[in-house]
Amino acid sequence: MAGSAGDTVIAPGAPTEPPSAPAPAAGGLAIRVRDLRKHYGELEAVRGIDLDVRSGEIFGLIGPDGAGKTSTFQILAGVMPESSGQVSIFGQTPLEARATVGYLTQTFSLYVDLSVAENVRYIGELRRLSLDEIRERGDRYLEMFDMLQFRDRLAGRLSGGMKQKLALVCALIARPQVLLLDEPTTGVDPVSRREFWDALAELSGTGMTIVVATPYLDEAERCSRLALMHEGRLHDTGTPAEVRQRPRLRRIRVRTGNLEAAEHILEGIDGVRDTQRFGDSLDVMVDDTAGGESIASEALAREGVTFTALKPEAPTLENAFVAVLRSIGGEIVVPAFPFDSTRDPVERGAVAIGAYGMRKSFGSFEAVRDVTVEVRHGEVYGLLGANGAGKTTTIKMLCGLLEPTSGDVELTGERGSLRSGAVRSRIGYMSQKFSLYDDLTIIQNLRFFAGVYGVPRDERERRISWVLEASGLEGREQLMTASLPGGWKQRVAFGASLMHAPSVLFLDEPTSGVDPLARRALWKMINAMADRGVAVLVTTHYLEEAEQCNRLGFMAAGEVVAEGSPTEMKAMMRGRLFEIIVDNARVATLALREALGHDRVSQFGDRVHVQSELPVADATSEIRALLDRARVEVLRIEETTFSLEDVFIDVVHRSRDAAVAEAS
Amino acid sequence: MKRILAQARKELAQVRRDRLVLFLALVLPQILLALFGTALSLTVTDVPIVIQDLDQTALSRAYSDAWRQTLTFRVVELGSDSQPIDALDRGDARAAIIIPENFERDAIRGVPAEIQILVDATDANTANVLRGNAFGVTANFARSQRSGAAPAIRPETRLWYNPGRDSKRFVGPGAFAVMFALFPPLLAALALSREGEQKTILQVYASSISAHEYLIGKTVAFWLVAVAQWMIGVAVLRFMFGIWFVADPTPLLVGTVAYLFCCVAFGVMVGAAIPNQAAAIQLVQIVGFLLSFLLSGLIFPISNIPAALRWIALFVPARYYIELSRDAFVRGAGWPAMWHVPIVLSVIGLVFFAVAWKRMRRMQVSA
Repeated sequence: MAGSAGDTVIAPGAPTEPPSAPAPAAGGLAIRVRDLRKHYGELEAVRGIDLDVRSGEIFGLIGPDGAGKTSTFQILAGVMPESSGQVSIFGQTPLEARATVGYLTQTFSLYVDLSVAENVRYIGELRRLSLDEIRERGDRYLEMFDMLQFRDRLAGRLSGGMKQKLALVCALIARPQVLLLDEPTTGVDPVSRREFWDALAELSGTGMTIVVATPYLDEAERCSRLALMHEGRLHDTGTPAEVRQRPRLRRIRVRTGNLEAAEHILEGIDGVRDTQRFGDSLDVMVDDTAGGESIASEALAREGVTFTALKPEAPTLENAFVAVLRSIGGEIVVPAFPFDSTRDPVERGAVAIGAYGMRKSFGSFEAVRDVTVEVRHGEVYGLLGANGAGKTTTIKMLCGLLEPTSGDVELTGERGSLRSGAVRSRIGYMSQKFSLYDDLTIIQNLRFFAGVYGVPRDERERRISWVLEASGLEGREQLMTASLPGGWKQRVAFGASLMHAPSVLFLDEPTSGVDPLARRALWKMINAMADRGVAVLVTTHYLEEAEQCNRLGFMAAGEVVAEGSPTEMKAMMRGRLFEIIVDNARVATLALREALGHDRVSQFGDRVHVQSELPVADATSEIRALLDRARVEVLRIEETTFSLEDVFIDVVHRSRDAAVAEAS
Repeated sequence: MKRILAQARKELAQVRRDRLVLFLALVLPQILLALFGTALSLTVTDVPIVIQDLDQTALSRAYSDAWRQTLTFRVVELGSDSQPIDALDRGDARAAIIIPENFERDAIRGVPAEIQILVDATDANTANVLRGNAFGVTANFARSQRSGAAPAIRPETRLWYNPGRDSKRFVGPGAFAVMFALFPPLLAALALSREGEQKTILQVYASSISAHEYLIGKTVAFWLVAVAQWMIGVAVLRFMFGIWFVADPTPLLVGTVAYLFCCVAFGVMVGAAIPNQAAAIQLVQIVGFLLSFLLSGLIFPISNIPAALRWIALFVPARYYIELSRDAFVRGAGWPAMWHVPIVLSVIGLVFFAVAWKRMRRMQVSA
């Protein structure tokens, strides 16, 4: 059985070994699912899905936590029986097909007390490979992922990104025909994430069928086809382009100094289907571009709100998913905050959180060096950084949990005694990972938090009932918290962190893993707080969250290396970004990389992104010439805007280069 | 076969890597064994008693001296104004001997002379021992007073197998057996439940290894760890307890193979059923250890267990192994008395293993 898996030689340039079994024809059906259902007692996790995955494609199953993705994957991998329905993988049942399927589980399934090589060997032996095969393939994949030098390191001592790559090596060792990846990039920073997706593109180029589950829409863009999963059902299936175009809505981006007012004006007027606020812009969804532009500009002018730009942009996947979720009735209305948002009056624009020349050393290791950050009342500030960039240490110092080695920290006007009761009572904290006690009911959780935060007794019931209303849980407060879907839980947790009316909020990845509507609802709540003068500091490495911040700080190697609004950050990028649509994205990517450099070219499903510093005309002719030589037909080339991820990766690379230059 | 070895090798690598597990596997059992052997002593010595001599004659004083000469008892002085019962109440003495007036006169007249012995029976076992000893002391004394007239029947008792009544020879081999009812299953249960808890089991399920290969691999690995424990344990018995094989060791060796399998299989069963390390530890401790401690004859003879519960002891593997190890280290009767033990232990072990296999056989997430 072991040798029958389709050969997948993925080292670029390496000669392809002849497959030991006839490889399935590219484009044929790899996975066929009909009316698949899975229930756990009362709970129906998968409610009848139909799915066709073609051989050699990267298929994305996109959906929030609790949508049923993991259940579906466990069934596909043959590790869990389905309740009903048919699943076939190359004509076999999942149980029979186990030898040809590689499965990367959400928790990576690594043995943390075994070394990298021991992990690979164990999985290889379970899959009946010979020791020579294991050593040869293992080394090849480890080399491909730049991990060969860590062969003897314990898996538990690897960084998140490296753990994920090791798990991928283990999943690949038996050369599966189908690779199932369940949220492979959770907890992985953007740089490692892009490398990981580049590796997936290479694997898919060799004919491997890849199914990946993710809650992140920017990853959905890199799939050849995708399906939206929500509450156990699939809603929209197609290529990213098809899905984006399907709602037939046009997007107009408005830039103005007064987002709060602009949103208020444009929300709900005739001809505007939807509005969505970001950190420094507002998206307005309309039926047609020209009509929409005039409606929006007239409405703003009528109310005397000035705007710096108002221009149509291509709709995003998020727009499409929001439209789908709305059509199935997932809209969430958040009521206004009923009590004074802050206990003490705050002055908008005054510094709420300030760090000046802050440093922290652990022994000889400098975790944070010379960080200066100011977050003002009424501002949403995002702190981004790769794993190990010093984000967590910085936050701990800013909220007074850790004493800086040197430098000043100011919190709500206080310096020095940041742990005093007075300061603490003005701070709210919410983390995606830990907030509520799962084994208490919702009301018990809220009473507990009202108690520990010292909410005045006569106010408690009113504030608790607001949190219940805001999270849409009135009358259901006796439910166990564990039984709530992710998005609901986050709104309750957020409400709980607001009950004592703090004037400074620390949020740690507040909306990771929830669906777009739930994310919007929560950001509406966050923005409402900021509009009332609360200072909000968000830490995240999800760029969808970063887009929501007014200002961003990028950390690398213990320093804040770039700061500005999302638009300013994107404008900092040197050169331009081109999106090229070709008939063979795989060949195009390899050819362009060889000529222009690895970092400048990324494959996004059927498209290729190329970064160039040449003027538009020169760049396009260079790209065309290169692709012509590689015999790839160019269907379209157009300039596109950098994403925050591009910026982030660029910033990290530059700071690494600078460190290398400094060292030499 | 290859996958069984791969599984076993991986388990052993993990044991070797984890210092806590290594300590749990090799050092802690020996500490426990040593502790059992020294702290758990059933020998009754140096028991404080008081004597109230109301007679104050030569004979009564001679009788009191007979008590002073024993090793078991230590006579403490009774204050002039306090009663024996006060000494018992205060805990100064565990027994009180009251010699009435006219003790010597009655003895000389040939009228049965009476004495009263009050024994603190809070600890019933010790009280029994004290009572027996007290009879012995008194009977000896009576015989010494009545020289010449031999009694019709004179029992002559010899203590066989353990002539010094050294309780180490009783507790040592027993504790040795109980130790394996705790540690090997604990390690095996942890290794299985950890895979469920940390979801690494999914990778195993996805690999099409069959349930018996997976379980045998785990069992072999922890059986080997248990053998290492056993060898160190034998050394501890030899050097700390001064105990060594008294006869043919083959029944013990064969029985050990079966017993260690049985213990590991119990852990495998628990770990396969409970994907939660904390719960698995508790179950092994309570069921495995407590039953082995209470119902195996380690301290209390199985015949003392109420009949309604005695049948449980039939399923406690440690009970058989205790018989076997006491035979090997103390009694020495060998195969004719012990032939059934390896068979019974193998059967119980196979039952545990079969339950684990039934639980895992689909190699899928149960839901």
